[in-house]
Amino acid sequence: MKKVFGRIYIVIIMLFLYLPILTLIVLSFNETKSMSVWGGFSLHWYEELFHSRLMMGAIVNTFSIAILAALIATIVGTLAVLGMAAMKPRTQNILLGFNNIPMLNADIVTGIALMLFFLMVGAPRGYMTILFSHATFCIPYVILSVRPRVNKNTEKLYEAALDLGASEKYAFRKIVLPELRPGILSGFLLSFTMSVDDFIITYFTRGAGINTISTLIYSEVKIGIRPSLFALSTIIFVVALLVLLAVNIRQDSNERKAPQTCS
Amino acid sequence: MSELIRLEGIVKSFDDNVVLNGIDLSVDENEFVTLLGPSGCGKTTTLRIIAGFEKPDQGRVYFEGKDITDMPANQRPVNTVFQNYALFPHMSVGENIAFSLRVKNRPEDEIKKKVADALKLVNLMGFENRRIDQLSGGQQQRIAMARAIVNEPRVLLLDEPLGALDLKLRQEMEYELVRLKKELGITFIYITHDQEEALTMSDKVVVMNEGYIQQEGTPQEIYDEPVNAFVADFIGDSNIVSGQMTDEKVVKIDGIEYPCIDGTEEGFPPRRRVDVVIRPEDIDIVPYGKGQWNGTIISKLFIGVHYEMLVQSEHGKIEWLLQNYDQHEVGEKIGMHVDPENIQIMHKPKSEAESAIELDI
Repeated sequence: MKKVFGRIYIVIIMLFLYLPILTLIVLSFNETKSMSVWGGFSLHWYEELFHSRLMMGAIVNTFSIAILAALIATIVGTLAVLGMAAMKPRTQNILLGFNNIPMLNADIVTGIALMLFFLMVGAPRGYMTILFSHATFCIPYVILSVRPRVNKNTEKLYEAALDLGASEKYAFRKIVLPELRPGILSGFLLSFTMSVDDFIITYFTRGAGINTISTLIYSEVKIGIRPSLFALSTIIFVVALLVLLAVNIRQDSNERKAPQTCS
Repeated sequence: MSELIRLEGIVKSFDDNVVLNGIDLSVDENEFVTLLGPSGCGKTTTLRIIAGFEKPDQGRVYFEGKDITDMPANQRPVNTVFQNYALFPHMSVGENIAFSLRVKNRPEDEIKKKVADALKLVNLMGFENRRIDQLSGGQQQRIAMARAIVNEPRVLLLDEPLGALDLKLRQEMEYELVRLKKELGITFIYITHDQEEALTMSDKVVVMNEGYIQQEGTPQEIYDEPVNAFVADFIGDSNIVSGQMTDEKVVKIDGIEYPCIDGTEEGFPPRRRVDVVIRPEDIDIVPYGKGQWNGTIISKLFIGVHYEMLVQSEHGKIEWLLQNYDQHEVGEKIGMHVDPENIQIMHKPKSEAESAIELDI
């Protein structure tokens, strides 16, 4: 009996989570523009999507900003973590406190603050201001995911490498960096998704004439939503799904596979 | 044997905490030296100064007479076996061992051969391609050894290498270490808080406490002739009691006078107040009234080979700890006897450091 309830419970949760997305995917293949009538299968909206310069521009902006912002945030964040490791624990804790504030801060506040800052320094708002803003709000997340990898153990490994005759550079490259890699990777992926996801901060820091997917959808909604947006959302969902699968499969095989061997 | 490493007046503090209070230490070529002491006594810091991970505030470190105090760790001819092994988790066993050879850019076939030799030396032949997390604690310990010796260091520093192993494995590894030491013919500087490990393996034991060297000597010397109550208490079980010299080579404890072998010549003139160590296995049980003093057994514990008993003295307040192969019952009245050479007379502590540990007998 208990088992049956458990099953039903899971099914209900799954429905809540995935039924809306499934609806979206189905409608993206709908021939008609209606959201309630099935007019037959078609790739019409996908075609429209790929022919819309506006949409393609937004897609390119979104992903190029996401990749660049994630890269910058990952580099800056990792360096920050390494710098912090050399500080006294007290100083580290204070810095970490400051690091947590932007993450807890409401996006709207961050967005308006950044916008005012750009206005004050007179930076022309556009691609670069969005990129700068995204890199900024991603850094705390990178610090948060890399920092746990820098601990007593990493320090010991670094010392062991020096003890075995390695130069500081060699020890860092061969021992410390591989130790940090999982943290760096998850920091990068987190930044990437946060950037793709962001609407509010982008909305306040973009200039006229530049759109990311989220701001484009927002402006489209005002004039009536087109099913080509469903097609776009479906593509984004499938891409995210594939990335997730790839990461999981890689982790799985990493656990089974032997490490580099002594040749 | 010639001197290999010498520490001169090493002082080291972290913030306001003085860890080493002027350490002078000499280590000979091919010697097995153990730094023994409770945690926080400064032994690990001493090792880290020798390895080059810490710089002393004062004092110098010499290697074969050459000052190496300012030489970075990666240029010193010493290698370390770390407490928790510090094996590189993302590398195979073979790559771990090969690390120091790769650093030096040795040719591939030489690396392969040396790695195999090192594995053979620690009895783990053919383990090259294993992953670190596939190894047991004992195996990891051996790999850490192999990695440290593959580059043929002059000195091997071992920081409580057996600390994480269970008792049986630890005893096995003690023999292994002594064998390795013999085969390699290099100097070992070993750190432990385990007095048994220290006594079993070392040529020289250096007992440390509170940043001072308390005593150094062969295991026999340290055990038989501890210089103060701290050393006596730290090395094995002992009765440490207060006494007073009453005559030349006579010490009075708890109202009873015992002949001993230390007198004015050894620095213990009559009327001097002293600490006395008597090892529990040196107190013989004789029939009641037939010994030097009498007492009643108040507790008995069987610990493997022998019985351990607490005996309440009839003459005063002291409870004596005895170890004996024969069984005696609680409540039994016995006589006790101790040979003069088994009474170890020591000076009362002069410095704070020497009395730092709470002595309970």
